Amino acid sequence: MDALSAMKMATTQPAGGFPANSMKELASVTTSIPPAELQQLSSVNSDTPLQTSAPISSGSGANFENMLGGLVNDVAQKQAAAGSAVTGLLSGQNVSLHQAMISMEEANISFQMMVEVRNRLLDSYQELMRMQI
Amino acid sequence: MINLLTGIDSTSSALDAERIRMDVIAENIANANVTKDVDGKPYQRQEVVFESMLRAQQDSDAPDAGSQTVQIARVQRDARPPRMVYNPGHPDANAQGMVAMPNINIHEEMVDMIASSRSYEANLAVVKNARAMAMQALSIGRHS
Amino acid sequence: MIDALFTDSDYVATKKMLDVTLLRHQAIASNLANVETPNYKRLDVSPSFEAQLRQAVAGRDSSEIASLQPALAVDNNAISGRADGNTVQLETEMLKLNQNTVENTLETQLVSGSLARLRLAITGKG
Repeated sequence: MDALSAMKMATTQPAGGFPANSMKELASVTTSIPPAELQQLSSVNSDTPLQTSAPISSGSGANFENMLGGLVNDVAQKQAAAGSAVTGLLSGQNVSLHQAMISMEEANISFQMMVEVRNRLLDSYQELMRMQI
Repeated sequence: MINLLTGIDSTSSALDAERIRMDVIAENIANANVTKDVDGKPYQRQEVVFESMLRAQQDSDAPDAGSQTVQIARVQRDARPPRMVYNPGHPDANAQGMVAMPNINIHEEMVDMIASSRSYEANLAVVKNARAMAMQALSIGRHS
Repeated sequence: MIDALFTDSDYVATKKMLDVTLLRHQAIASNLANVETPNYKRLDVSPSFEAQLRQAVAGRDSSEIASLQPALAVDNNAISGRADGNTVQLETEMLKLNQNTVENTLETQLVSGSLARLRLAITGKG
């Protein structure tokens, strides 16, 4: 495929043209929820179907924020890896087409994961808000 | 240069080399009966010499270090003497009625042509396979 | 958390084997390009790397599998049937070419399938 269509394909996926505002939006989810309620959230959150590998302790709310921050960082890393794979491919370095496609797909999946976590988080928060007297 | 088809350097060099070889064989066959070439002597058979080269711009710790391309090192004249044929009526016949004909054996040329064509087809198959693999790779992220 | 999604040893092993098929294709391309070159010795993926890969896959250790680097080496088991010392045999090489392409297709589909399943698990739709 020629360079132009490859560039187009790379930028319509989040890998190449990763929108900075959605990252900020996600970060703002954590800052718009007051820390005290974050703490409460962390204790009721353990029965959401989307389990994380690290158990969410009912300790400080900082634990939860750290987890989300770590998630955002991991996703950003995956996106960066995909971006560099694509630029490596386009500039003729030693990256194979297969590697670049797999990197892009992994970055997409990571991004989807982050979006789902955010959705679940917001849903739980809203449900919690509805529950309070 | 984007490297979408693996091994394309080797394969394209082989296709070029085989095409040159075919041209040389065709020239030999066309000139098989030329008794007076531009230098006054009978046409001398040409042959190609292949040599392999490490691919350009390769660093020694890349995984594909060692793979090679091929090129025609030179086209040289076959040093075998011309065939002497008895043909007294020929304008170039010498005092004994012998004519010096080019040192070309048609059967040899035909065998070379078949070998060259097989090698060309094999390298075409390599390119087809590389393309099939690239198309497979492009469908990796595709959702139905 | 994201890394845990992609560190299943089977998935990592399939990705590595996919890389190996691409490398093997380069070796076969080099061999078929040089089928007429005097004294050319055929190349293949190095047998020591193949042994390492088999061991690492059996050990199911993802980071070990991911750290392996495939390499090409001269095939010492190939004998020359010709006077000029060239060890490439056209028919054998063509068979290897076809087999390698099928293996590549298989591994691409396995990887693609794993990623599609992951996506389905996360988003609930394809």
